[in-house]
Amino acid sequence: MPSPSFVRTLVRSPQAGLTGVLLVLWGLLALAAGSHQDPLGGGTVNNFLNAHTLIQMATDASGFAIMGVGATIVIISGGIDLSVGAIYALAGVAMAMVLRAAGPLPPVAAFGLGLAVCLGVAVTCGLLNGLMVVGLRVHPFIITLGTMWILRGIAFVMSRAESILVPTSLTAVAKASLGLGRSLSPVPLLAMCAVTAIGAVFLTRTVAGRYVFAIGGNVEASRFSGLPVARSTIGVYVISGLCAGIAAFLGAAFYGSATSSDANGYELYVIASAVVGGASLVGGKGSALSAMIGALLIVTIRQAIRTLHFDQNYEWIIIGGALIAAVVIDQGGTRLLTRLREAR
Amino acid sequence: MSAPAVRFAGITRRFPGVAALTDVGFDVAAGSCHAICGENGAGKSTLGRILAGIDRPDAGTITLFGEAVRFRQPRDAMAAGVAIVHQELALWPELSVAENLGMGRMPRRGPLVDRRALRAHAEALLARVGAAIDPDRRMGALSIAEQQLVQIAMAVGADARIIIFDEPTSSLGERETERLYAVMAALRAQGTTTLYVSHRMPEIFRLCDTVTVLRDGHHVATTPTAALDEAAIVEQMIGRRLEQFYPSHAAGTAGAPVLEVEGLSAAGGRVRDISFTLRAGEVLGLAGLVGAGRSEVARALFGLDPTARGRVRVRGLEATIRSPREAMALGLGLVPEDRKGQGLVLGMANRENGSLPSLPRFASRGVVDRARESAATGAAFAAMTMAADAEAATVTLSGGNQQKVVMAKWLTAESDLLILDEPTRGVDVGAKAELHAWIDRHAAAGGAVLLITSDMPELLNLATRILVLREGRPAGELARADATQASLLRLMSGLGAA
Ligand SMILES: Nc1ncnc2c1ncn2[C@@H]1O[C@H](COP(=O)(O)OP(=O)(O)OP(=O)(O)O)[C@@H](O)[C@H]1O
Ligand SMILES: [Mg+2]
Repeated sequence: MPSPSFVRTLVRSPQAGLTGVLLVLWGLLALAAGSHQDPLGGGTVNNFLNAHTLIQMATDASGFAIMGVGATIVIISGGIDLSVGAIYALAGVAMAMVLRAAGPLPPVAAFGLGLAVCLGVAVTCGLLNGLMVVGLRVHPFIITLGTMWILRGIAFVMSRAESILVPTSLTAVAKASLGLGRSLSPVPLLAMCAVTAIGAVFLTRTVAGRYVFAIGGNVEASRFSGLPVARSTIGVYVISGLCAGIAAFLGAAFYGSATSSDANGYELYVIASAVVGGASLVGGKGSALSAMIGALLIVTIRQAIRTLHFDQNYEWIIIGGALIAAVVIDQGGTRLLTRLREAR
Repeated sequence: MSAPAVRFAGITRRFPGVAALTDVGFDVAAGSCHAICGENGAGKSTLGRILAGIDRPDAGTITLFGEAVRFRQPRDAMAAGVAIVHQELALWPELSVAENLGMGRMPRRGPLVDRRALRAHAEALLARVGAAIDPDRRMGALSIAEQQLVQIAMAVGADARIIIFDEPTSSLGERETERLYAVMAALRAQGTTTLYVSHRMPEIFRLCDTVTVLRDGHHVATTPTAALDEAAIVEQMIGRRLEQFYPSHAAGTAGAPVLEVEGLSAAGGRVRDISFTLRAGEVLGLAGLVGAGRSEVARALFGLDPTARGRVRVRGLEATIRSPREAMALGLGLVPEDRKGQGLVLGMANRENGSLPSLPRFASRGVVDRARESAATGAAFAAMTMAADAEAATVTLSGGNQQKVVMAKWLTAESDLLILDEPTRGVDVGAKAELHAWIDRHAAAGGAVLLITSDMPELLNLATRILVLREGRPAGELARADATQASLLRLMSGLGAA
């Protein structure tokens, strides 16, 4: 039984509304999904509320969430990064090509080399974005829209649009069951939680994180306070690139291949995760945990279509409508909570 | 007796954690100038905002000329003839002055804006408040005082029956203030009712017939000005007698030069040939009319003006200051004139604003130690008598309390060479006395202060020496003993000097 003060903290946290929406959605899905007989062990299994579906959802969400944490940091600083999907593709393709060229390697070496190449490429891309935003004084929307096309183009040309396999030693790590039983792979879920936790600590506890909020809140006042505005701005794009690299590594390893069309259109899901999570597009506001919840929400909506056997043709319409509804309910709930708090 | 222009009855407004107004009721006589006084956070601006339809009371009624009104939005108040000059600038910085003045009633020719009529309208309004501002300039390019004049022109031009002035003079210089007084006289002759919020006592006695005092959101008294003196108003405000407005100075002995400036030019050459020496233990006043170039000197010294040229020595060592970071590394701190735009990140908590320039000092390996941060900023807030919750967002603070947070930033940073640009803008009498005492102590402890202020008594009282600027050039220097209001004004305006 959680103590009342714990419950109060939970209810008061800025994530309360969104978490509530998510839990209600899961509850409804569990009720509506029906159940089936487990072919192996016997007994009934809920069609939604089962380990397999939940971990599958977390795996789907992990890419959005990991990149969403990066996007949240960029958005808090008052910027935007449209190039994360392209960075994902380029980093994955580069890694796969290097590993293919390197030939057979011992598992540890393949893993290390792959990770280094993937993250190295992604961070370099992020650094380029940051340097251009600061150096050219062009709005990041334009810079990253440009690099979005450029980087995907490079990936396309480099790979000749081929799908390149990555060594099975990587897949073994990404799909490791970690003792959970076969066909369950919690590694993406754990990576998502780890990145979110690190992002949350960065934003709420470190000097650099505080500067991100300050710069997004008021650049002029930040400059007048002697903050390293240029360095911080470059930093947020590097972080965003790094997050795309982590997601790309996980993705390529998990699915066993990389192509230049990977993560096509992900940038909007990623930004949506951040903004659904409450990050303000004018800057100064947002949280890593909320971005993760935002990603889970989006993936849940997609999952609902599958679980409830809706006509797949209506997928986009349902996702769009549900997204707007979720945010409206969240905001309404937050307002209600504030009113209740004020009434005390 | 005719009906009062405004009757407040039982006005109550609560915010999370604070009751801004509690059961406030009083009358404002038609055609009068009615002062509203109170400490920072007493609820003056909240009352003004409610009357102007910007904020809505939780309870209570407003009656205008005997007619009960209930404003749901600012438009309703405007339609009822109420206009407001906001304490904080509320303008469109990217639009021209003319567009700002025409907002809400753009003259049209067919479907298009009639630009010529718009400009003529703006010129007429600016002339009414005696402001020589080109209507085609971008709003954001104007100085704070000029923006304030535009804001006043906007309210006066609305031809309202009731105008609320919320600290209109806090960012104006002598000359603009005199113009405002003339505007107020003209309004009175027209029979316009004015509510006048100010922390400057002399102008209340000069302009207002009646004084209402609020304390902690409660109505204390409404009294004819003739029956009051300064001490009595302050006593009503703070609930006790304040013995000294300006504490006596510890006669500071000037030490070694801390800041030596030679042939400084700034703002693309608009300000030129500035030379002075500031010694440890000194408060050097920088005087001048609005636009004389005082803030430009401050910005240049703090590394914010890429066009700045000239020799600067800090503690005897040659220094080129190209950014606030470099300035801060040399021990400089700047309290800028525009607290909202340059001083504060309004969405952040007071604690976070207070520690912004000095955050690395409260961190080990890049991780902030909240306890140390809270302790240091809390001490600075206490020194500034900033009573609001340290964890509240700065945007929810009253104007004067926000100013105290800006001061607290540089207290927390422990800068020994402080450049203060209008440090007491909108700060109440009690807090002002605290701040003056702090500046004295800072100087006595070997710190140095470059003080820019349009508040004459403050300048005369605090500065050990006063450097006067006129149109971007040095116009003379006065020792404290020789400086009087009259001698300063002569130097500032250049009249009678030739
Ligand atoms: N939007 C808001 N949210 C929360 N609190 C608020 C808000 N606006 C005002 N307050 C609080 O209401 C109180 C009264 O504020 P108000 O601005 O009316 O003071 P004031 O008398 O005008 O002070 P000053 O002399 O500093 O301008 C303060 O405690 C302030 O913090
Ligand atoms: Mg106020």
